[in-house]
Amino acid sequence: MNNIHFPVYTLLLLLATAVVIPIIGKESFSRLKTLMMVTLPASWLLSVMTFLKVNQEGGFVYNFGNWSEKIGIQFIIDEFSALMSLFILTVSFFVILYSLKDIEHEIDPDQFSGYYTLIFILLFSMVGITFSNDLFNMYVFMEILSLTSCSIISIKRKKDNYMAALRYLVLNTIGSLSVLLGMALLYMVTGHLNVTEAARNIAEIYQLYPTNLLLAVGFMVTGMGIKAAVFPLHIWLPDAHSSAPTPSSALLSGIVVKVYIFTIIKILFKLLGIDIVNSLGVPQYITYFAAVGMIMGSVFAIGQKDIKRMLAYSSVAQIGYIFLGLGLASEQGLSAALFHVIAHALMKSALFLSVGAIIYKTGKRDIRELNGIGYEMPITMTVFTVAAFGMIGIPGINGFMSKIYLSFAVLDADKPVFLVIILISSFLNAFYYLPIVISAFLRENKERKSIMALEKIPRGMLIPMVCFALASIIMGFYPQIVMDVIEKAVPTFFLMGN
Amino acid sequence: MDDLIVKTITRLIVPFIQLYGIFIILHGHISPGGGFSGGAILGSSIILFTLSYGLERASKKVPHKISAILESAGILWYIFIGLIGIALGGTFLANQDSGFFMGEAGRILSAGMIPLLTVAIGIKVASTMVTLFHTIIEED
Repeated sequence: MNNIHFPVYTLLLLLATAVVIPIIGKESFSRLKTLMMVTLPASWLLSVMTFLKVNQEGGFVYNFGNWSEKIGIQFIIDEFSALMSLFILTVSFFVILYSLKDIEHEIDPDQFSGYYTLIFILLFSMVGITFSNDLFNMYVFMEILSLTSCSIISIKRKKDNYMAALRYLVLNTIGSLSVLLGMALLYMVTGHLNVTEAARNIAEIYQLYPTNLLLAVGFMVTGMGIKAAVFPLHIWLPDAHSSAPTPSSALLSGIVVKVYIFTIIKILFKLLGIDIVNSLGVPQYITYFAAVGMIMGSVFAIGQKDIKRMLAYSSVAQIGYIFLGLGLASEQGLSAALFHVIAHALMKSALFLSVGAIIYKTGKRDIRELNGIGYEMPITMTVFTVAAFGMIGIPGINGFMSKIYLSFAVLDADKPVFLVIILISSFLNAFYYLPIVISAFLRENKERKSIMALEKIPRGMLIPMVCFALASIIMGFYPQIVMDVIEKAVPTFFLMGN
Repeated sequence: MDDLIVKTITRLIVPFIQLYGIFIILHGHISPGGGFSGGAILGSSIILFTLSYGLERASKKVPHKISAILESAGILWYIFIGLIGIALGGTFLANQDSGFFMGEAGRILSAGMIPLLTVAIGIKVASTMVTLFHTIIEED
């Protein structure tokens, strides 16, 4: 029952769903719901099977059309990509489950089929990037991903959305082109687009063309940096993530930016290899930007009045954590970064979805108007509180564990100054998350008495939120469940000379 | 645009443009061009028709619903052809290994599944161009 074609089936199922939706979904939303609730769990199951197979028998490569990897397209299904595709599909399943109810408040009914087509193409391209072992294929999937995210941001037909989408489009086009230029420079000297093939003779090339290689890496990391919103290149993110419909904010902030980080990891550690990357000095610079981002993202978040904008700025800070782990260029650092990728996706989805529920119910987006909301919507605010505590780093929630791992990795790399920055950033996180929690539960609302009420949110929205919060708590108490898998995946990046 | 000369010329020229587009699509595997360029030519013939005869008559010729279905069908057809490769024992999009008719290089009936794929791409591109153009002028 377990064969090598499952990753391809996952991808094709998502693509086929995306193109079938416009045909059948125009008339009735319920038929569209049924279709999605069949195909999405099916592709999730396929990725679970892939994940189990890889964990039992080890990774494998998949050549399209039986062409050899020198001329053909290749997928690599190893521990890393199997885990990450499973993670992408799991998070997006819950977010899409939530969106089925919430989306009725966000966009016009005639746009539903278009919206879900875009969401499925988004998932398709994310899974594609994760599996792809071919530089140009990665670029193609990245371009699909950027264009669909842009349309998802602009779907609401408001002035803010068009502004945000235009800004996103311009900056991400610069990013895409810079990535493409980097890949071209690399192809020029290696002669291969396949990552494994190019990695084979990269040491020799580094002797011959060090400047070319540095330039290529610089272009690629900067381009991905724009797309992944590393600190000075983040300016498109707050607008885009705060003006998009809430479920897509959760998707964009939880997993879309992470996919670009996976690509950076692949290029830095799989293609170039740790030795060359270290001698080029790339990781060192990444840590500097990450450290500045961790502080500045939080500082900007403190000043925000709109709660979704605040969450978006918080994403900038959290991406700093991931890049810090990545920039340490050690096994512990990369494990901590990947752990935080998963932890942040769970927490940020829980935050965005609970904020979406507040907007759904009360229409309030301003932080100052949230007094006493904890009594009106107890479950939603509990979810928000759990996730916010995770962001701050209260023990027992996964955010704390990822900070612990990151701190140990920093100490292990003998760079204690970053530990201070992690601590300052945690305090800054507390600075903007705690006031919301305090005002929600402890302040009196002028219009409404603080009496505990029953939640009046549809169950389809409540369950995904609670699942994310529960997953965060479980991951906080038993981090080994996730860490064991990550620790299996990380060494594949540090095997050189294969 | 209500002009007799334009209408007459369009009526004369559209079949030839379409024939040329189909030629390019079908010769995709042995000559320059292929699914995308042939599809673009086919699509532009419909766009020319829309420009000279107006949206009303054009959407009778190519209804919105039909072009939307063709768009999806192009991709589904491509996926289906690729899956044949898996069903016959190769990998996705496997051509010769899964026993497609290879024929003699340079003939129309050769190269296995590639002509079938260019047809899929041609349908997809042509219908996408028509749908895009019609949507844009509808909103105007």
